[in-house]
Amino acid sequence: MPTQKNVELPDIGDFDAVDIIEVLVKVGDTVNENDSIITLETDKATMEIPAPFSGKVTSLSIKVGDKVVQGDLILTLESESETETDSEVETDASSDQSDNKVIDNSEATVTSTVSQDNIKQPEEVSLKTDSNSHASPSIRKLARELGVSLSRINGTGKKGRILEKDLKSFVKELVTHGNLNEEVEAIPLSRIKKLSGKHLSNCWNTIPHVTQFDEVNIDQLEKFRKHQKEKNIKLSPLVFIMKAVVQVLKRHPNFNASLDEGGENLILKKYFNLGIAVDTPNGLLVPVVKDVSKKSLIELSEELADISLRAREGKLDSSEMKGAGFTISSLGGIGGTQFTPIINSPEVAILGVSRTQIKPIWNGNSFEPTAMIPLALSYDHRVIDGAEGARFMAELNQVLSNIMEMLL
Amino acid sequence: MIKTQVLVIGSGPGGYTAAFRAADLGKEVTLIERHESLGGVCLNVGCIPSKSLLHTAEVINETKHASELGITFSKPKIDLKGVIKNKDSIVNKLTGGIQALAKARKVKVINGYAKFLSKNQVTLDGTDEVIEFEQCVISVGSRVTKFPMFPFEDKRVMDSTDALLLDDIPKRMLVVGGGIIGLEMATIYDALGTEITIVELGSQIIPAADKDIVNPLFKKIKKNYANIFLNTKVTSMTALKKGIKVVFEGKDAPKSDTFDKVLVAVGRTPNGTLIDADKAGVNFNENGFIETDKQMKTNVENIYAIGDVVGQPMLAHKAVHEAKVAAEVICGKKSGFDALTIPSVAYTDPEVAWTGKTEKELKEAGIEFKKGIFPWAASGRSLSIGRTEGVSKSLFDSKSGKILGMGICGTNAGDLIAEASLAIEMGCDMSDIALTIHAHPTLSETTAFAAEMAEGTITDLMPPRKRK
Repeated sequence: MPTQKNVELPDIGDFDAVDIIEVLVKVGDTVNENDSIITLETDKATMEIPAPFSGKVTSLSIKVGDKVVQGDLILTLESESETETDSEVETDASSDQSDNKVIDNSEATVTSTVSQDNIKQPEEVSLKTDSNSHASPSIRKLARELGVSLSRINGTGKKGRILEKDLKSFVKELVTHGNLNEEVEAIPLSRIKKLSGKHLSNCWNTIPHVTQFDEVNIDQLEKFRKHQKEKNIKLSPLVFIMKAVVQVLKRHPNFNASLDEGGENLILKKYFNLGIAVDTPNGLLVPVVKDVSKKSLIELSEELADISLRAREGKLDSSEMKGAGFTISSLGGIGGTQFTPIINSPEVAILGVSRTQIKPIWNGNSFEPTAMIPLALSYDHRVIDGAEGARFMAELNQVLSNIMEMLL
Repeated sequence: MIKTQVLVIGSGPGGYTAAFRAADLGKEVTLIERHESLGGVCLNVGCIPSKSLLHTAEVINETKHASELGITFSKPKIDLKGVIKNKDSIVNKLTGGIQALAKARKVKVINGYAKFLSKNQVTLDGTDEVIEFEQCVISVGSRVTKFPMFPFEDKRVMDSTDALLLDDIPKRMLVVGGGIIGLEMATIYDALGTEITIVELGSQIIPAADKDIVNPLFKKIKKNYANIFLNTKVTSMTALKKGIKVVFEGKDAPKSDTFDKVLVAVGRTPNGTLIDADKAGVNFNENGFIETDKQMKTNVENIYAIGDVVGQPMLAHKAVHEAKVAAEVICGKKSGFDALTIPSVAYTDPEVAWTGKTEKELKEAGIEFKKGIFPWAASGRSLSIGRTEGVSKSLFDSKSGKILGMGICGTNAGDLIAEASLAIEMGCDMSDIALTIHAHPTLSETTAFAAEMAEGTITDLMPPRKRK
């Protein structure tokens, strides 16, 4: 006999209740051991929970949006069922038309086949019977004739029953206020967006931002990069910028600092950890590259590739997103001439990088095509004066355009 | 060459419904039937004649038990010719009625065996006649599956059609298959005096229904019939002079036994493959059913299929609804088959009927449900008709309270189930049913009582103790 086994949420680390953001299986699915069954989202990372053993999903106890803790029942699996019973009707004293094996199955699915979409659908006729829609056959017929999916209508009848007038006013609304394409849809924000949103508005509201712009001639840097590329060493401009920033931070410790909660003391950091903003499908994440000053360009390159990949896959540990002294946000790969980054409090400055452009630069005799990278430095004016900000930028420009200075 | 807008092949309940609906919507319709009379299996050799004979059986059985009411009848004399005559006259009345309705609608009826030539033409088998159509509805039904292991060439081995002819009243009859058809025929022959044995492969009779709903019937026939062998296979069947020797394989069954007659009621095969539908390009699935969408369209744009040829359950009332959809779609209406339930009924004594989901289906699907079971022994009406063995069971979604299914065993269960089907289509809650006033004393009250049992508001019985 097949046996039913419960699958509970295993120990997922130091978290309170976490959100289920995705349910990857449904009742009736067969899963193999280690197939992912649900996706959880913690403060900063998402993780997929694997099935502990193989089997057929017989019931689901959770849904998207539920909060779960260790030990909560996720689903029930039926372990490997017996082989199908004898189907050779020829030798069977089975029963007649309405009760043989084949019918057993089909009757079990009488209602469900109605809502399945796997049968080809005639175009303009809506035949989706949403089992959650509370509507009588005559209303379902009318909806079909009008080509309206009942799942889009809120019933005003008793217990949410969809009445004829609901259907009609829905259609009237469509006719008067536009067509079916102007649909809106409410999508709950991801946990990352919700959390980072709160943080960002706090930063924006409490820190007096000043943003200093500049453009840096990176011809030299590009030449060097190209040369390395020929040797199959791929370096992005970002690692040079990181190195240059550290170089300048050493001379301007105020920028590698945080303001304490009372806003009274500046905490200077004696290490050089840079936050790197990474775009992920679920929102913005800022993993931290530690001890940038001690790492080579190649090491930085590898580390960047690794953390950004893991950030996108939601596999970053929360400890990897802590402890930065200064942050860089690079949108150069996407485009744009400039933007004003928001300081990642309690840090006091952030550098925004936009897309490199070839510009005609006057070299004293003529205009020369030159690779110019736009930089934007936002700083906390409570901590940093305008002159200091401009100086930081000027020195960063100096180092980046003469990369030999990084060696100093 | 005959030209028609809509051609319907097969005149069973599905076929004539499609033809009539299309005609009423303004189409010029031709209906082809291979048999002489219209109506298909249902009217000629299925639902209707069997119900006529079942009524005969009911009358006989009533008189048997009349002594309990203080009336004694002498043993009834059975005039088989009279029984058959009554059955035939009912069938003729209905088939004649359909003929008249076809005429009134100007539906052209052609007698013959249609076979496809192309997606726009059929021929009448054995003739040169070609009928060209714009749109076609295939409603050619199903036939009894003639498994070669059963010696049908011997007249004593019958299928349901043969059994309805009622050639004689055998002394001892074996019914192979404890499903609806086998049990209905057993009911008829038992009343006429035959000693019945039933053999069923499954662990219960009427395997599709819930066991608790079938149980009152099982208890009753177990007592009345010679034997009911469950979990038992028929491994061979040999026609001997003295009878049909049947070899069994099962725990409770003897190794073999010999019967005067054997009725084989184990399955029906769809007829779609017998009409050269492949020449029109129509697709079949692996079980031989024609595949359609919810508008009953096959893969060939102008060809529709309905009823037994498109899939289970093979029930006339399913075919009729599909027929209306097909005809309406042909006539440009936006119809679709979106019924939430197709009820099933066994016209046994007592009847067994169920609709929506069965309890075992809900368990299999992992749906949480509440159930209410009302035993008819507590119904005044069933006591007064002397039939207290019945039971009504209603199944509701445990969260929303919405009705999911119902099963009834008892007198007129087939009629009583209609309320539950309507409740399912209307999305009723258990309180909707419990709060609807049912006339007292009626059997229909049992449906409301079953809902009250689930709700815990019953007063005619002790309400079931609430589980925490």
